[in-house]
Amino acid sequence: MRWLRRNLVVIAGAATLAYLILPNVVVTVFSFNKPRGRFNYTWQEFSTDAWREPCGVADMCGSLALSLQIALWATLGATVLGTLIAFALARHRFRARSAVNTLIFLPMAMPEVVMGASLGTLFLNMRIEFGFWTILTAHIMFCLSFVVTAVKARVMSMDPRLEQAAQDLYASPLQTFLRVTLPIAAPGIAAGAMLSFALSFDDFIITNFNSGPASTTFPMFVWGSAQRGTPVQINVIGTAMFVIAVGVVLIGRLAGSRRKRS
Amino acid sequence: MKTAEAPPPASAAAPPPPAPGGATGRRNLTPYWLLLPGILWLLVFFAAPMVYQASTSVQTGSLEEGFRVTWHFATYWDALTEYYPQFLRSVLYAGTATLLCLLVGYPLAYAIAFRAGRWRNLLLVLVIAPFFTSFLIRTLAWKTILADGGPVVEVLNALHVIDVTTWIGLTEGHRLLATPLAVICGLTYNFLPFMILPLYASLERIDPRLHEAAGDLYAKPFTTFRKVTFPLSMPGVVAGTLLAFIPASGDYINAELLGSTDQKMVGNVIQSQFLRVLDYPTAAALSFILMAAILAIVGVYIRKSGTEEIV
Amino acid sequence: MTDTTGGDVRLSGISKTYGSFTAVHPLDLTVPAGSFFALLGASGCGKTTTLRMIAGLENPTTGTVELGGRDVTALPPHKRPVNTVFQNYALFPHLDIYENVAFGLRRRGIKSVKKQVDETLELVELGPLARRRPHQLSGGQQQRVALARALINHPQVLLLDEPLGALDLKLRRQMQLELKRIQTEVGITFVHVTHDQEEAMAMADTVAVMNAGRVEQLGRPADLYENPETTFVANFLGTSNLIEAEVAEATDEELLLTAGEAKLRLPARRCRGAARAGDTILAGIRPEKVSLAHADEAGSVPEGRNRVQGNITDAGFMGVSTQYVVETRAAGRIAVYEQNIERDGRLVPGADVVLHWSPENTFGFDADARSIHGVQQPAGEGV
Repeated sequence: MRWLRRNLVVIAGAATLAYLILPNVVVTVFSFNKPRGRFNYTWQEFSTDAWREPCGVADMCGSLALSLQIALWATLGATVLGTLIAFALARHRFRARSAVNTLIFLPMAMPEVVMGASLGTLFLNMRIEFGFWTILTAHIMFCLSFVVTAVKARVMSMDPRLEQAAQDLYASPLQTFLRVTLPIAAPGIAAGAMLSFALSFDDFIITNFNSGPASTTFPMFVWGSAQRGTPVQINVIGTAMFVIAVGVVLIGRLAGSRRKRS
Repeated sequence: MKTAEAPPPASAAAPPPPAPGGATGRRNLTPYWLLLPGILWLLVFFAAPMVYQASTSVQTGSLEEGFRVTWHFATYWDALTEYYPQFLRSVLYAGTATLLCLLVGYPLAYAIAFRAGRWRNLLLVLVIAPFFTSFLIRTLAWKTILADGGPVVEVLNALHVIDVTTWIGLTEGHRLLATPLAVICGLTYNFLPFMILPLYASLERIDPRLHEAAGDLYAKPFTTFRKVTFPLSMPGVVAGTLLAFIPASGDYINAELLGSTDQKMVGNVIQSQFLRVLDYPTAAALSFILMAAILAIVGVYIRKSGTEEIV
Repeated sequence: MTDTTGGDVRLSGISKTYGSFTAVHPLDLTVPAGSFFALLGASGCGKTTTLRMIAGLENPTTGTVELGGRDVTALPPHKRPVNTVFQNYALFPHLDIYENVAFGLRRRGIKSVKKQVDETLELVELGPLARRRPHQLSGGQQQRVALARALINHPQVLLLDEPLGALDLKLRRQMQLELKRIQTEVGITFVHVTHDQEEAMAMADTVAVMNAGRVEQLGRPADLYENPETTFVANFLGTSNLIEAEVAEATDEELLLTAGEAKLRLPARRCRGAARAGDTILAGIRPEKVSLAHADEAGSVPEGRNRVQGNITDAGFMGVSTQYVVETRAAGRIAVYEQNIERDGRLVPGADVVLHWSPENTFGFDADARSIHGVQQPAGEGV
């Protein structure tokens, strides 16, 4: 009883974690399902068909490629633009600082429907053709703020004396930036870039308002199939993404801790 | 609403800290060049559309004839009278889901911060890990979990839990899918990590010795939590509730996939007005009302909770 | 840049203001080549700002900085032949010790750095740790890396900003000797900023005591201690008993003072500023130079010494010495440090005593010096 009371919070936490992980378990299990009919919602029998033919569904791998392409470019764009802003905010004094801060903050506080719909309205009225470029533009827009936040936090926590020490040791302003500021800010930039990639790759709502008929991203494909019929391959992709991402994170941590120890 | 900002220039009373970015006091244009591309991007593709949308909301016309600004404010009134149930539902569902996120997320954040020891990093990875699978796929998985005749529904029916929730009005009949409970459950699930991470961040900063000090000063464990831990985690609570509530109130995926036509939220309406009905003024007016409502709620909330700093 | 003979540091009329706040008032200062110079003062007195102006990290509002006869006021920090050991060291966390030390050489385009880096690491006894990261080192080791990183460049002047502030007491004493040894070995001019008066006195050839953006007094440590010229200096360097007294008689040799019923003598050469009969001055005496005798033995006090009667209010046993606070009618509270050689059991709080000291050990300065500078510390506090 005493043990139970003391560990109540741990038990509740474990239950929450189970709640968080459960859908992923279901996704993985159902990637081995062989459904009868078009929808993969009830368990029928074990099969590895979908894993042997991950691109066996029309258009799915094409949409996956488009999503990856957009996510890469959006990450690049948002990381460059966001890092520049973050450095301006963290290392310089200028007028209109609070206005800039507000402009960075608002996209994060705005529901995606509102942002997606309004940007879509603008493109529509400017008679811009919906497609790859409109999606990319939108993605850079909403990823930007997250990069700024991540990089700014890192640069702000950096001791300004490090840069002064570099200058004191004969490094010119450019050398100081390249040899000291940038390497130390790198983890923040990497975090912002990773977040951008994940946000862009997984975005459905904003994309839905800004895509054209010929540009179907992977989330849009999944959305469409929820209406028409869900192929098992969706679960295969979902599981693979999960395994790859967790694997990369774990290997990174392992390598990091080993280097620290040696 | 204010984001965390750099400390203001030092006052005259104390010697100012070394100015960042070198000693040169001369005005330079570097920050403006750094800001230019990104800020321009946000102005053109975020701020301008907002303004444009405001104008769209007072336009009239049709897709064939084109839309013109006629200061037709009645669109707002029409949108509100027609779609107020969806608005109410959005606030209600998102509010309930946010509260549930807090209740469910706090123990996990607490356990990771204070009880996890060397497993801390692994647990954090597990909290973030679901993100790596597309959220649409995961929401579809809830369809399987909550399906009629599935183990969850069977167990809850056997325990008469669903009878209780039906009596409250959260479910209908003996099923979970296509009920408010399913939508709220989906919303809670989807935005839980947004609650847990800021909570963890603020809990992690608390010195565990404060717990010992409170215990030393005759506080029982729960009193310690109520008087010390929880107040100190307030920044995380505020940030977490906002990060969960804002996207939840505009969400339409969960209502679409897990609910029926009786659970449509305002996001669904905007989406269908924009993409199916092609009534852009109404879609714009609805977006604008939603945005204003959220800004108002967030503003009041921040004022009340006394925290000006959000992550 | 590689001139190891060093050079004079000459500050002329240098000052720094931030808005309406003046951190450093116009200041003239010359640090002779090869000397160990300390800027001593409480936090916020402007000593670090002065140091940063020499380094080029802060632009002076007025005045010029000259190094070895060359005006460097307009040069950015990376072009000055000066290196700094920063407070909290500012070691680059993403580079190992070797690369931290090699940083300055590499920035100057020197390709083969190995020999120099190894030698410098040897000088600070860190050779085996070359491939560690800064966070894996103890505070004392980090401090030595910071020193090596600056010294390897053979700057004309080495600036040290509270370099020992983060170390514990024992390590600090050890590093003081170490720094002094290294300075003698390399012969570079050291300008050392500290708030620790013992540190400044133990290491520096010349100490400048700063207060509220001004240099109050400058001199050799012993001179500053024996002949403080302001209340601030008298109390910042150790503790002083300051007695307000009126000049009764003044000759070229000696001043006769009256403080209440007590008559005190003060050698004229130890009094700053010309004092004439009728002036009010502050007469000072260090606590360790005052002797204490029980009132019953008042007769055994030799003639010719300054004497004041009082009553012990507090006695604190400190091991090597006992610190008394004596309340006197003539001179207020007087602190007395007695060596614990033969302790007189009667010297306990409440006992009536006679304080006496040699006139030779008395110093004096204008009473006005108090109103300009600083606040007088209550006697008995401090070291």
